[in-house]
Amino acid sequence: MTDRATTAALVITLAAAAALAAPTRTTVGAPGKHAEDSCVNCHAKLDDARLREPAAEANSDIHHTQGVSCSGCHGGDPSSDDAAAAMNPAKGFVAKFRPQAIPEMCGSCHSDAAFMLRYAPNIPTDQLQQYRTSKHGQALAKGDTNVAVCTSCHGAHGVRPPSDARSPVYPTRIVETCGRCHGDAALMSRYGIKGNEIAEYKKSVHYAALVNKNDLSAPTCKSCHGAHGATPPGVSSVSNVCGSCHLSQRERFDQSPHKDAFAALEQPACESCHSNHAILHPQDSWIGIGDKQICGSCHSAGDGGATAAGSIAAVLGKASSAEAATLARVQGVERAGMLMDEANVKLEEAHQAFVMAQLEIHTASAARVEAQTKSVLNALAAADKSAAAAEAEIRYRRSGLFVSLIVIAFAMVLLILKIRAMER
Amino acid sequence: MRALEKLWQALDQRLELAPLVEFATHKEVPSHRHSWAYYFGGLTLFFFLVQVTTGILLLLYYRPTAEAAFESVQFIVTRVPFGWLIRSVHSWSANLMILSAFAHMFSVYFMGSYAKPREMTWWSGFALLGLAMGFGFSGYLLPWNELSFFATRIGTDMVSKVPLAGAWLLKFLRGGDEVTGATLTRFFGFHVAVLPMITAALLGLHLALIQRQGMHVPEKLAEEAKRRKPIRFAPNFMLRESVVWLAGLAALAALAAFFPWELGTKADPFAAAPAGIHPEWYFLFMFETLKLIPAHVLGIEGELLGLGVFGLGGLIWFLVPVLDRGSRTGHRTRAFLVLGWLFLAYIVSFTLASMAGVFK
Repeated sequence: MTDRATTAALVITLAAAAALAAPTRTTVGAPGKHAEDSCVNCHAKLDDARLREPAAEANSDIHHTQGVSCSGCHGGDPSSDDAAAAMNPAKGFVAKFRPQAIPEMCGSCHSDAAFMLRYAPNIPTDQLQQYRTSKHGQALAKGDTNVAVCTSCHGAHGVRPPSDARSPVYPTRIVETCGRCHGDAALMSRYGIKGNEIAEYKKSVHYAALVNKNDLSAPTCKSCHGAHGATPPGVSSVSNVCGSCHLSQRERFDQSPHKDAFAALEQPACESCHSNHAILHPQDSWIGIGDKQICGSCHSAGDGGATAAGSIAAVLGKASSAEAATLARVQGVERAGMLMDEANVKLEEAHQAFVMAQLEIHTASAARVEAQTKSVLNALAAADKSAAAAEAEIRYRRSGLFVSLIVIAFAMVLLILKIRAMER
Repeated sequence: MRALEKLWQALDQRLELAPLVEFATHKEVPSHRHSWAYYFGGLTLFFFLVQVTTGILLLLYYRPTAEAAFESVQFIVTRVPFGWLIRSVHSWSANLMILSAFAHMFSVYFMGSYAKPREMTWWSGFALLGLAMGFGFSGYLLPWNELSFFATRIGTDMVSKVPLAGAWLLKFLRGGDEVTGATLTRFFGFHVAVLPMITAALLGLHLALIQRQGMHVPEKLAEEAKRRKPIRFAPNFMLRESVVWLAGLAALAALAAFFPWELGTKADPFAAAPAGIHPEWYFLFMFETLKLIPAHVLGIEGELLGLGVFGLGGLIWFLVPVLDRGSRTGHRTRAFLVLGWLFLAYIVSFTLASMAGVFK
């Protein structure tokens, strides 16, 4: 091989390596200082809108505003005003990355703890490592380029931090971001996924908390599946995932006979009763073995589980009806103008006890649920007592008014008669 | 009886009361088909006396600080025997007093009673209505609930639009830049000391003028009043007035028992203003008008323009005895009659429309 041929082969090999792996970090400015380079200057003036867009988005890009210029990812020579020199592949320039190259390229900085310390010391540096273990990462490694890479979720240019409400991975937007692929039933069918997960999730209490209450702590896709290490939680890990927020429920479930039974049946814990994505607000009416009741999917009439379910439903129903009746009574007295602060405190106490009773359902122990409903009934009895006293007070006031009106009317009649007699 | 006579003689010798009794027994009230209008002034006085009495009783328990005001009113209506009744009567009576005062003012206006020689009675009455509204505005804040807190913030903010003195006035009213506990203490001072003192003096003058000048009879009713036998003030008119007062008392008792005045929730200065903030009903016509005026009119700030127009309107209303020159000779100008009806129609229509939620 001649020297020229050797050099050409070396250049081609280097260029191929650059396209597959990350380019070198050629231009990285001081943290906090806006990057300045010829790339933005030239691209901003181009006629092709597609090529102009990256320059337009540079000002809102977290990397660019922190001093990482275009060449930080694309390579090349940003100091040159000559397009050919600036975008010279020999200087590591890569115009468009192959999907396989993207995680490595992003990871070249984001996995470097020492480097990230200069910019964002608090963000983790194991994203690439996690990504490689994810379903996305595994499929990508096998050559599937349909799966999500970093830019699929975070965007390529104009990348904003996840705490920015305009970021596609901000809690209120991440569902739509995942949904771009996972809401596509045709695409998902290739992977044995239904593709209705996003639609189902939108029926859930979690989504309602997120969008209606703007509760950013409400779980989204990544809360259960992970973000960079995205993977479906297996049967054995479902209760761990749900239990990371629902600690009390998990603790009680672990004490219940269901724990071992579900494990033996290889049935997921929480999901068996609550579903996975369409997690609705639980209803007491679900407890039982009848139609549209969930215990019946495992238990049948006469067995211990069905008996316990019947007892639990009965004591909860009694407490629930009593709570509604007392609430209506107290509100009625309040409408009549009485201050019912003490009764309202008792009502709140009763409701708290009722929630605790609902929590005890996870133990599947009728006795434990009943113990809590007794607290509900005791608090309601105190509220009822206050309401009864207020009702008696209202009757007293109205009868007092009636008597005083009679006295006033009598005095008025007497005065009118006196005036008439005087003026006759 | 002898003891009473002796007491009377002793007092008469020292204070020469006989001429006063002589005056009262000979004082007469004209009788005509609109004599009913003469009762509104007395009815307003009755509600004022109720206010003084119930106000003093509330003072026994009320604490004028941001920390304790709401709780003390809560204590009054829940724990103090008949506290609910006293507080409710105080609130209802305040509103009925303003209503009665407006009825009194318009009846006086339409009968042309402001004319010479009764200009001072009109002016003192005008000032008394202003004071009554001041009582209402300052008293509204005292329970320190959410509605009154934010309404006071909006209400006091308006004075800041006054040219030159606006910023100073705002600080004077609020006792600082914001509505705080300092504002509450200040408003309490106005409500129970400053305003009652001025009101007592003006009310004394107003009543003395009425006694001195007697009731006015409109020109159109003069013939009728001459034909009819006048009503003796003591005891006939006093007894009739008593019937009206008893009716007022019955209305108060019924309202207080069936519609106890709400306490609301305690004011939280750091919370966002809730929807539906509004002042007392007698400020609604001004409140809604100011909201309707665009932010800027011909380069002038809308609220400033609105306040200017209200100020001018108030001044014209105040100066009616001077401006209506015909009234001095008993021939009132038609333009002022029309002005009165327009003013009444404006106040009533805007107040009712606001209550009906038309402006929401």
